[in-house]
Amino acid sequence: MAENPGGDPDQLTQSDNRIHLGLELAVPLFSFGGILIAFLLLGQGYIQSFRIAAAGCIIASFILAYLAWIRPKKDIVALTTPMYSIIFFVLPTDMIPDLILPILYAISLNILLVRLKYRFGKPGTAVSMGKELGGSLKTYIDQTREPLKNVSPDTAHNATLAFVRFAQGDYAKVARISETVTGNGDTAGCDQCLARAFSIVKEHAALLDKSLPHPFTYLVFNPEHADLLAKHLPPGQDDDHEFYLALDNALLLLYSAGWNGSEQDRPHLLSRQPFAQKLMSS
Amino acid sequence: MKIGNVEVKVSIVAVAVFVFFTIFLLFASVYSPEVRSQLIWMIPALFLLLVIPMALNYMSRSEYNNLEPIYEAEAKTVRIKLINESMVGKPVRIEGVVERVYFQFLNRPQYLVADRSGAISVKMFTSSNEEIKVNDVVEVLGQVIKRYIVTGDPVVNCVSIRKIDKS
Repeated sequence: MAENPGGDPDQLTQSDNRIHLGLELAVPLFSFGGILIAFLLLGQGYIQSFRIAAAGCIIASFILAYLAWIRPKKDIVALTTPMYSIIFFVLPTDMIPDLILPILYAISLNILLVRLKYRFGKPGTAVSMGKELGGSLKTYIDQTREPLKNVSPDTAHNATLAFVRFAQGDYAKVARISETVTGNGDTAGCDQCLARAFSIVKEHAALLDKSLPHPFTYLVFNPEHADLLAKHLPPGQDDDHEFYLALDNALLLLYSAGWNGSEQDRPHLLSRQPFAQKLMSS
Repeated sequence: MKIGNVEVKVSIVAVAVFVFFTIFLLFASVYSPEVRSQLIWMIPALFLLLVIPMALNYMSRSEYNNLEPIYEAEAKTVRIKLINESMVGKPVRIEGVVERVYFQFLNRPQYLVADRSGAISVKMFTSSNEEIKVNDVVEVLGQVIKRYIVTGDPVVNCVSIRKIDKS
């Protein structure tokens, strides 16, 4: 995928857009174009069969399937069109070959293309495919790089482990990992805010592990940590919101600490980026 | 219909197929003596069109009933926002409001369940024990899976869905 210097990494580059637009145009072009060419050549007596129309539909099916494949949200109907094109046009059949089948097939492909465009979102970027950080998550990680520069590699690794295990739903392990950082008072490798993040994650993980409701008293970040947090409590929100917001902020801070402090752990964090993006955006 | 402690439901599609072939067989037997001579095996075959879906529904429902206590013991209660693709295979319990119901008539219901943190699809591969409607507050027990097994967004493969009283 082409670079997108300076732009929002969630957005496709212009050249990507042009390629995708070209491919979208290629679907009606090949499917109906093949039929048109077959019709003209048959009328002039240059060919005797409808294979050109069938070939156009087959090519259009593969293009449609590719367009479905590069979207983060997959359309299984569009993805299986190459299989149907082979069943209809390549495998031997008792049907008498005519233009009706390619015409109906081409119409169906184009309906599927419209459906794909409007119901299955835009094609994926390197961000949505999990190859690089993007959007507001990247901005947050860049913003917290400087304040988190003194985090030790061990603490950063523990932050990655805690985040990854939390994403996987291994809450008991998350509580244990957080305990190793905070429980022994061993917070030399991280500042107060990060230590609080581990404590908050530990508290939530312990509750989740036992499926307990949110407690009457709970940990939150201190007001002086506000600059390091990804999300802030909008005015007028209830206790519940504050409780869960603290968890979101704590997890995002661990993600940032892991990313900025332990380069070898980045592939693990990248693969959990959709979860971090979800925490960031909701 | 209840067999043992299992509520067996036949989908409207199975009933429609049964009705269609019953009418078809009636007409055919009126007009064709050859068909009339075959009725001895055609009528039992016709009833198999109802019995087989019922038997399959009974088997799947009783299997799900057996799984329910296991999920009760193992599933963690999570908010919907915490469910992500890294949790595939994990048993979960969610509570929320049913926003949409699809395919209930096919005995393969799908629900869109939402809590304050988000919404998620809940798929069931057999009929539910009770009829669930939009705006019902429910507790769902199930396993996180990908929508299309190997790809797609995370959804909950539902083992049990029941209405709860949150008032």
